[in-house]
Amino acid sequence: MLDYKIMSKRTARSENMSLAERFSRMSFPLMALVGAILIYSAIMLYSAGGGSWSLYVFPQLLKILFGAAVFFAVAMTNIKFWIKFAYFYYSIALILVMMVFFVGHTGMGAQRWLNLGLFTIQPSEFIKMAMIVVLARYFAWYNSGQISQAKNYIIPAILFLVPFVFIVAQPDLGTGLTLMLIIAGMFFIVGANRNWFVFGAILAILMAPVVWHTMMHDYQRARIITFIKPEYDVKGRGYQITQAKIAFGSGGWTGKGYIQGTQGQNQFLPEKQTDFIWTMVGEELGFWGALALLGLFFGIAVMLYKMSKLCRSRYAQLMIFGFGVNWFSYYFINIGMNMGLLPTVGVPLPLFSFGGSALLSLMFGFGLVQNCWVHRDLQLSAKGG
Amino acid sequence: MIDSYQKMTFDRRAAMMIGGAGVLTSILVLQMLNLQVFNKRKYRRLSQNNIYRVRVEIPRRGIIYARGGVELARDEQVYRLYIVPKDMVDFKSTLDFLEKSLGLNDRNISRIMKMRRKQRDFQPILIRGKLNWQKMAELSALNIPGVHIEQGYARRYPFGAMAAHTIGYLAEPKDSVIPFFKTGKSGLERMYDGVLMGKTGQTVNISNAEGKIIGEDLDQGFPAMPGGALQTTIIAPVQEKLEQELSKLQAGCGIAMDAETGDIFAITSLPGFNADLFGFEEGEDYIDELASNPMKPFMNKVLDGLYPPGSVFKIVVALAGLENGTIKPADKITCRGEWKYGNHMYHCWEKRGHGPVDLVGAIKHSCDIYFYQMSLKIGIDAIAAMAKRLGLGGRAFDNYDESEKTGIVPSREWKEANIGVPWVHGDTVITAIGQGFMLANCMQLAVMLGAAVTNYRVKPRLTHDKEIVREHAGLAPQNIAEVSRGLLAVLEKGGTASGSYLNVGGKTMGGKTGTSQVRRISLEERASGIRKDSELPWELRNHGLFVGFAPADNPKYVVALVAEHAGGSAMVARAASAVMRELLNAGL
Repeated sequence: MLDYKIMSKRTARSENMSLAERFSRMSFPLMALVGAILIYSAIMLYSAGGGSWSLYVFPQLLKILFGAAVFFAVAMTNIKFWIKFAYFYYSIALILVMMVFFVGHTGMGAQRWLNLGLFTIQPSEFIKMAMIVVLARYFAWYNSGQISQAKNYIIPAILFLVPFVFIVAQPDLGTGLTLMLIIAGMFFIVGANRNWFVFGAILAILMAPVVWHTMMHDYQRARIITFIKPEYDVKGRGYQITQAKIAFGSGGWTGKGYIQGTQGQNQFLPEKQTDFIWTMVGEELGFWGALALLGLFFGIAVMLYKMSKLCRSRYAQLMIFGFGVNWFSYYFINIGMNMGLLPTVGVPLPLFSFGGSALLSLMFGFGLVQNCWVHRDLQLSAKGG
Repeated sequence: MIDSYQKMTFDRRAAMMIGGAGVLTSILVLQMLNLQVFNKRKYRRLSQNNIYRVRVEIPRRGIIYARGGVELARDEQVYRLYIVPKDMVDFKSTLDFLEKSLGLNDRNISRIMKMRRKQRDFQPILIRGKLNWQKMAELSALNIPGVHIEQGYARRYPFGAMAAHTIGYLAEPKDSVIPFFKTGKSGLERMYDGVLMGKTGQTVNISNAEGKIIGEDLDQGFPAMPGGALQTTIIAPVQEKLEQELSKLQAGCGIAMDAETGDIFAITSLPGFNADLFGFEEGEDYIDELASNPMKPFMNKVLDGLYPPGSVFKIVVALAGLENGTIKPADKITCRGEWKYGNHMYHCWEKRGHGPVDLVGAIKHSCDIYFYQMSLKIGIDAIAAMAKRLGLGGRAFDNYDESEKTGIVPSREWKEANIGVPWVHGDTVITAIGQGFMLANCMQLAVMLGAAVTNYRVKPRLTHDKEIVREHAGLAPQNIAEVSRGLLAVLEKGGTASGSYLNVGGKTMGGKTGTSQVRRISLEERASGIRKDSELPWELRNHGLFVGFAPADNPKYVVALVAEHAGGSAMVARAASAVMRELLNAGL
């Protein structure tokens, strides 16, 4: 169903394109998939509000409009702008992450939000995108000889570790996990020694008990215990995951009907409009409704993979693929935790959950992806040149 | 620039990763199938448990009737006030308010605090079991969060403590999850729980996660079915008379029964309890008081109290002798007040002796010496067999009370098995006057007398739904006539119960007194003069017994009374006579 011919007839080897030309070179199928998810999201948010436009749909539409503006602006600028300023906005995102650590708002036992007067943002969402861009830029001009040298991974490792430490300390396991997946994915895709990954996996297993006893908060340990044995504390910590499974499972093949979900509509599902919206889809629209949504998510992942292969510049290739890793982590972690396959970590369903930060960060990311795609035939030779 | 090595690496590794993403995404699909398809039923059921709030409708319990439509137990509508801590804004201040408004005492408060600690937040705590209409209206108008007033039924016993053990009472079953739902805990209330209880109904409400009711599922609801009525054989005036008479003697038990059908007209155990107070706040002190009473008000002595039958047992001994031909009615024995047998001196209750007595005289005067000597002729085997034939040593009234006692009919085998010593003649001698090992309950004594005078052993019954069960005792009519003559003489001039002579329109009563010793009288005490019962502490005084039947010519009614530690039997015979008068006057 995603058998889309990506190769464009026209090739643009120059960075000098008119706005119309840039627009026409964007990937419309990708935009269509993104648009489909956004529309699906609005439909479900209408139901999450109990049939109300004003509760979730309108506020989310405003954010989508803003995100769309960012998307087009990013997509249609010169690719060199983003390459040139990669470290700059990585720095800004890092500063925001650090600010959250020191002055951030506390919610659910974790500091994640930064109050910027008019609205609050979650800088951890932005640091993911900044990481991808900065790594793509870093590796863009290395040849295969340089790639095989271990010392060339020191700087990227630092670029990863600094925000990682702050994010895990917040504590935000979901983002920390995503950052790990991104750095591992990027290292793997550029061609790092595959033994490292074997070694890393063994190390992770060995470190797990140490992390459990020394680095994790009680609430995190509780979440993992709850994940393994939700019936252990059905009314307390296990409540969310138990209720999520009940809501999702009771949907059956075709669901209980739109705005007819007894669990979601009667407030048994906490966070049903944000992190647990997947269960509402399952309850009201059933297996088929959920499968359609999962199809859209996986479709985008496949599309990003195919697009990345067709780029002529290393930067564009790594950027698109890196974003693909981020995209996959988002939906896999969220859906996995919704269905009790993963512990509950605060990761929203991408483009679907109610909320601004992840949406904006993702729209920015899709903007960068389209930006790379617009410049897919451009061969970038020297740094910044 | 992408060099060829980089391109090769990228293509290979990117394919691996998208493949991995595909596998992981497929796992998500499998979990979707697992939850939504394979476990759909389970989660559907759980989701319904989430939203449905089932409220059990407690049915109205059936009425227990005495004869003539007299209500012994009935459900009455009450308003009850209870609190649900979960719904309360502030537990302490609300309770303070209720304390003032309802005048709760310290005891009520401590009970409420105890319940608060013991129960979960959402479980109700009863504050007042019966609230008058005015207070109900006043408090419901205030609409205090967490304070609920509910209309419900409470079990009431219009006669209070009357026939309490037999009627029984209700209690909340252990681990009950339905508030205020009670089941029969003892007596007829327990035995006929299935009939009286009815069927519970249910209302199914749909609620949201906060517990707010947002609708009702009419398809799943059904109404409660009220319980059926129970007609008993009890006659209220006779019952009242029996209790009134027996209460003069403090503690004991009694029964008035139809010797032909086994219908129980009156049955009591005293002191009793007033179940009408149970479940209400004033009952709290009361229950403690009952529990600490040495006269054991919760014990149903008619069935569970075992007593040595004393001289009442002489009826059995006489019939045993007549039936096996070892004694003739005219045979005389001379009573000199004491009789030496072996190394032991046996005494008659009449120290001066009765002189020469025949069977009728021995029964009339309850001469111990006559029965001591005759018993050795009759033999313990014949006596034990006759006792069993007349209903002693077995459950008279099965399937009513688990703790019903069978009593003891001593025999050679019994002594060998239970004491481990062979039977001796001395055992036979004291058994002949209903002492020694012999034990029976009041119900058995009534059945025994009925069988001795009508030749039929009946199974007593309390409700008309039970069949009339009676078995022929196989006694020779002339033997019954001889014993009956003796029993009639007991109430005539010179008899042991002469003060209780009864004649209602030509219908007279016969009977037998009994005094059973609770303690062993030592030789020294006998030598220094036996202490009078009135000088002894209550619990060491003799039990007084009387069994009676009427009319003399065609026996129909039997009464049996045991007055614990009453000292003697004369007062007991008088009480029995009053009850029999009531029965004869009732003109059934």
